[in-house]
Amino acid sequence: MSKPRADYLPEAIREKLIHDPRVAEQDLRVEVQEHRVMLGGNVASPQLKQRITEVAKELLPDYEVVNDTTVVSAAEPESEEPVS
Amino acid sequence: MIRIAAVGDLHYGAGSTEILRPSLEHLHDRADVLLLAGDLTRCGGPEEVKVLADELRGVQIPVVAVLGNHDYHADHQDEVRRVLEDARVRVLEGEAATIDIDGARIGIAGTKGFGGGFRGAHGSDFGEPEMKAFVGHTKMLSDRLERALTDLDADLRIALLHYAPIEGTLEGERLEIYPFLGSYLLAEAVDNAGADLVLHGHAHHGAEKGRTPAGIPVRNVAQPVIRHAYNIYTLDPGRQLLPAAAGGIS
Repeated sequence: MSKPRADYLPEAIREKLIHDPRVAEQDLRVEVQEHRVMLGGNVASPQLKQRITEVAKELLPDYEVVNDTTVVSAAEPESEEPVS
Repeated sequence: MIRIAAVGDLHYGAGSTEILRPSLEHLHDRADVLLLAGDLTRCGGPEEVKVLADELRGVQIPVVAVLGNHDYHADHQDEVRRVLEDARVRVLEGEAATIDIDGARIGIAGTKGFGGGFRGAHGSDFGEPEMKAFVGHTKMLSDRLERALTDLDADLRIALLHYAPIEGTLEGERLEIYPFLGSYLLAEAVDNAGADLVLHGHAHHGAEKGRTPAGIPVRNVAQPVIRHAYNIYTLDPGRQLLPAAAGGIS
């Protein structure tokens, strides 16, 4: 398979992150500007966020990786919702 | 009141240890049953689900789950199910479970569900075999859900899904991916059979609250949406509850 053109690079990275078992996240946003990759979205843990940075750096060693993903809280809810 | 704790899209894998455990320790004080709305693992690996199963073993209330698309990725869904069932998690696919809580029968019908889209823009099982298989899968699972819900003899009936049954809980998602997020056929099945609550996951950027066309409450409990270990919904079973819990899943 040929190397993706710059126009298709964000989608190629997104696909790699989905299929890498260390990440397997389908909801990451990927933007590429010059030699910088910016990642966004929600992740379950600080460890996963760190792994995403590592995998992105492996994929694009010549790019700066800016990981702006948000770690989602897994705290107990404060209240209940009456449904019926 | 019956207290239903629910969450989906936990995406457990190596390194997920202890994410949920602190919030599960006192869950029995706050809820009567825990429902898991699929995507319990990252890639469907049995070793991934073992991490979650170890945390769920300590939960002192009944746990009922459906699997999600991630749980099928490694083609080991049967083993994923077995690992969960070994941890006393009841896994539903086109099936139902009833739980006796303080004398009230709580019925849960579950399916992963699948995609296709929503009213006015749903795919048809027409054309290539791949398209027939795609929509046919959704139709089959929706039919099974309707049967499982209809056959439930319970004071409260809950539909537990992974894919979304309505567009209302997808608000925030990109319109282009709606057909991959759910199908109106799931809502139609619920509206035909009747239910008190529908729970689903899968739509990480969606909204929590919606209703089916017939008015049944729908909650998207994908963890990135609820931003808690679980949410708790209370429902009135319409009868006087007994003072002591009976427990147990049938």
